[in-house]
Amino acid sequence: MTFTATIRVFPKSEVRDPQGEAVRGALRSLGLAVSDVRTGKEIVVTFDAEDEPTALEAVSRMGRELLANPVIEQYEFSLNKGVPV
Amino acid sequence: MTRVAILRYPGTWSERDFQHALSLVPEVESDILWHEDADLSGYDAAIVPGGFTYGDYVRAGAIAKLSPATRALRRFADAGKLVLGSCNGFQILCEAGLLPGALVRNSGLEFRCDWVHMRVESDATPWTAGLRGAILRMPIAHGEGCWVADDQTLADVEARGQVVFRYTDERGVATAASNPNGSLADIAGVCNEGRNVVGLMPHPERCSEALLGGTDGYRVLANLAPALAGTAPAIYR
Repeated sequence: MTFTATIRVFPKSEVRDPQGEAVRGALRSLGLAVSDVRTGKEIVVTFDAEDEPTALEAVSRMGRELLANPVIEQYEFSLNKGVPV
Repeated sequence: MTRVAILRYPGTWSERDFQHALSLVPEVESDILWHEDADLSGYDAAIVPGGFTYGDYVRAGAIAKLSPATRALRRFADAGKLVLGSCNGFQILCEAGLLPGALVRNSGLEFRCDWVHMRVESDATPWTAGLRGAILRMPIAHGEGCWVADDQTLADVEARGQVVFRYTDERGVATAASNPNGSLADIAGVCNEGRNVVGLMPHPERCSEALLGGTDGYRVLANLAPALAGTAPAIYR
């Protein structure tokens, strides 16, 4: 069965996000009242798994073991059957 | 004779500099090992050099931590053998969980290529034997060298004496200007609890002969032979 996971990785709230701060400054230069910006990344993974529980475990491993570093980052994901639309 | 393995991953770029610097140290011989089939048996120490392994994709050091060489390195470290990671090598060791904390984007967002000073905070590691309190001057070249950890980890690292190098000015005083990347507590390098694994952002291999503008890196690398033989020449202490 084919699944598509969309994994979002963000710096933990207590970790400074200098890229977010730079973007905040740039957005403010547009005259916008921007109070905070957090930057992260989104990773879309298409993969095969036997069933949904197996797929969920696979995505957790992706997050835990490579895509996010628990020292500095948190991640969340959504899981869908099929290929990306 | 101390045998040193220098690991080369795709994107490692400082392995030959390390091999050259180590060639200046008496009683040390080194080999460069490709990461896919790195066999660390027979070696006394391993070095993870700087570079941009795997293009720094995902995070600096994140993909390299899954390499066969890093698995071998974990066993090597568990056996009490000596490991040194510099720059991207430090990032890999943190990603692999061999060292505490993580390295993130420099607080000023700039890639910093400069000379820095740091104070040796601990001589309890074989790499810094006899150097406690020494002010070392070394080059840095990194965009993601800001060492961070949660409050508890930082407190533990400080309490256990795992801070090995701290950024200071040339007199050994930590100031805002002497910290090049925003690292917590001015930390430039740490060790594991066993003290056999050390990581630092600066490049000892690039300051190991006068021709390159400094020899303080040699003072660290020269500990390699003596650390194992217990016969450090007084000049390096």
